[in-house]
Amino acid sequence: MTQNSEYAIEVNNLTKRYKGLSAVDNISFTVKRGEVFALLGPNGAGKTTTVEIIDTIRKPTSGKVTLLGMDVTKKKYKIIPRIGVLPQGFSSFDRITVKETLQYYSRLFCRRKTDINGLIELVNLKDKVKVQYKNLSGGLKQRLGIAVALVNDPEIVFLDEPTTGLDPRARRAVWDVLLGLKKKGKTVFLTTHYMEEAELLADTVAIVAKGKITAMGPPGELIENNANYLVIMLKSVDEKVFEIVKKMGFSPVYDSHGYIRVRLDHTDDVRRMLTAVKDGGASFTGLDVRKPNLEEVFLKLTDEALPEGSVGIKEAE
Amino acid sequence: MNLHIIHANIIWANIIVSIKSFYREKTVVFFRLAFPVILILVFGTIFMERDNEIFDLSVQDLDRTKSSEELVKAIRLSQRFKITQVSPAADAQQYAKDNKRNLIVIIPKDFEMSMMQKMGPSGIGTPVSLTKLYDPSSFGVTTKIGVLDMVLAGINQEMSGKPPLIVSEPVSILKKKYRFIEFFVPGIIAMAVMTASLFGAVNVNAELRQKGVLRKLSTTPITRIDWILSNVLYQFILAVLSTVVMLLVSYGVFNVSLEINAWLVVFVALDVFSFVGLGMILTRVAKEAESAAASADALMFPMMFLSGTFFPVEMMPEFLQKFARVLPLYYVNEGLRASMVAADHMAALKCALIIGAFAVVVFVLGIMITKLDGETT
Repeated sequence: MTQNSEYAIEVNNLTKRYKGLSAVDNISFTVKRGEVFALLGPNGAGKTTTVEIIDTIRKPTSGKVTLLGMDVTKKKYKIIPRIGVLPQGFSSFDRITVKETLQYYSRLFCRRKTDINGLIELVNLKDKVKVQYKNLSGGLKQRLGIAVALVNDPEIVFLDEPTTGLDPRARRAVWDVLLGLKKKGKTVFLTTHYMEEAELLADTVAIVAKGKITAMGPPGELIENNANYLVIMLKSVDEKVFEIVKKMGFSPVYDSHGYIRVRLDHTDDVRRMLTAVKDGGASFTGLDVRKPNLEEVFLKLTDEALPEGSVGIKEAE
Repeated sequence: MNLHIIHANIIWANIIVSIKSFYREKTVVFFRLAFPVILILVFGTIFMERDNEIFDLSVQDLDRTKSSEELVKAIRLSQRFKITQVSPAADAQQYAKDNKRNLIVIIPKDFEMSMMQKMGPSGIGTPVSLTKLYDPSSFGVTTKIGVLDMVLAGINQEMSGKPPLIVSEPVSILKKKYRFIEFFVPGIIAMAVMTASLFGAVNVNAELRQKGVLRKLSTTPITRIDWILSNVLYQFILAVLSTVVMLLVSYGVFNVSLEINAWLVVFVALDVFSFVGLGMILTRVAKEAESAAASADALMFPMMFLSGTFFPVEMMPEFLQKFARVLPLYYVNEGLRASMVAADHMAALKCALIIGAFAVVVFVLGIMITKLDGETT
C-alpha cells in the first residue's frame, strides 16, 4: 500500500496476547481517509489494546498494522508527527495551565505556528486558559485532552473513550467537539462503549467483543442487516398485559424503566398485539413503537448485559 | 522508543514545565531550598559552639582562703570554664541533683595549709587533693573532666616554676584554620543534592507514569534520552540554586572559609546524574509509586548516615568504613571536601573519576530500561 492509499489505517490479522490470554484475537479491518471509525464494545473487549497498538503505544504479538502507508512497529517516529492521540484516562501536569499545556505539547512537536487560540476555541475552553490542569473538571480535562491531540494538526486522531466518566452534559459538549472534527474532514478513530456516541458520530462502526470483531459497517447498515424488526414499548401497571403478550408467543421483557419491551418481526404484529391486549380487558398508559438502534444490534451480536439508560451499555468494572 | 535522537527544544520545553510546576508548589520549594538551610543552621550552631566550647563548672570552696581564691581565678583565666560558686554550707551532691550540674569541684577546707606545706622548703606532704563530684550518666562530662585536668596540669606546672620538659606543636595538614562547619557544609550540599535528585526523579516519574502522562508523552516525538536528560538538567538547575542558597547562608551566618572552584560544579553535576539515573531505574523497576519511594528511602538512609555527611567516616568501625567506600555518596562527600576544604585537586580528581564512572553506568542503564509508554511486558 502506498502513502496515498484511500485507507488511513489497515489492520491485518492483529493479535495481542498477555500471559497466554488473547486481548485482541486475529482482527482485520480498514479505515478510510476522512471517515470517523468507532470501535464499539464493553470494557475488557480489547478496544484500548487495539487502539494502543494502532497508535504506536503498544506492540502487537502478531499481525500487521499499517498507518498512512507505514508499518507502526517500524516507523513509529515517522508516524507520530502525523497522528494525534487522546489516550484512555488522559492526564497532564497538575500545575500547568490550559494554555501552557497546549504550548508545551506544541513544542514537543516542534511546531512554531500552532493556532493555540483556535484550538482553545474549538474545545470551548476560552474562559479557562489560565486555569491549572488540576483545577479543571473531568469534562474540561477531556476537552483539553482532545485539543492536545490536535496540536500537531494530525491527519488521524485517535480518541480512546473520550466521554467515559463524564456526565451527560459534559459528554454532549465533547460530542460537539468531535462533530467539529468530523466537519473538518479529519480521520477519527474512536473507541467507546456508548451506543449513542457511536451512532451519532461514526461513519463506520466495528462491534468488538472478547477480542474479536463481530460486525462492522455503517450504523444504518448494521441495524438493517442485524435488526430488521420493530421494538414496541408498553408502559403498564396491569400485569395482565405481560401475560397476554406472552401467550401470543412473543418474548416480552421488563427493561430498567419498567417498560414491557417486545420485539416484533412484522408491522401487522403491532395491531394484533394491541387488539389482543384490548380484548383481554387489560390497559396500558404508554406506548412507543420504534425501529431498533445500535443497542439492539449490539445486544443481539454480543449477548452482553442490558444497557443502563438509553445511551449505552452498562459500564463494566 | 527512539534511543538515539536528542531534541534540544523538547528538553527545553520539559524543563520549562518542570520549573513552572516547581515554583507553583510552595511546599516543594520549601523542602528543596529551606530544608538543607535549616540543617546547616541547626548543626552549624551546635557545632560552632563546640569549636569554642566554654564549659559550665561549679566550684565549692570550703577553704575560703587567698590560695583557694587564686586557684579559682586561675581556672577562670584558662577561659575554658564559666564558673558558678556553690555555697560552702550546701550539700554538694544535693546541689548537683537539684541544679542539674554534672561536675562540681570541691576545694577542701585545709587547702591553703596543705599547699604551704607542699610548697615550703621541705616540700613534704602528699599532693593537695581536689574532689571532682560528677554525674557519670551525663553526656560530655568526660570531656569536661579532661579539660579540667588539662587546666589543672597547666596550673601545677606553672606553680612549680620549672619549664615543661616536653611540649607538642600542632601543625594542620590543611592550609588554613579548619572548623566543623567547613567539614559539614560540603557534606550537606552532597546530601541535599542526592536526596532531591533521587526523590525528585522517583516521585515525579512514578506519579506521571501512574497518572498516564508518560503514556501520552509516548505518542509525541519525545525520546527516552530526551526525557532522562530533561530530568537531569532540571534537577541540576535546582541543585545549583539550592547549593547557592546553602553557601550564601553558610558564608553569611557562619563566615565559612571554603574554596569555591569548578570542582563544586563538577561534583554537583555528577551527584545529580548519578541519583537521577538511579531514580529512573527505581521508577522503572518498582511496580507502584509507593514501592519506588520506599526503595529510594532504603537506598538513601544508609548513604546519608554512612557516607560521612554528618560525621567523619573514620569515626565508624572498620567494617562500616569498608561499606561506606562502596557508597556513591561517599565519593561526592570526599570529593567536595577535598576541593572545598583541603584544595587537594588530585584527591578531588580521584573521587570525580569514581563517581563519574558510577554516573555513566547508572545513566546508561536508566536510558536502556526507561519506558515512556504503558507497556510492562
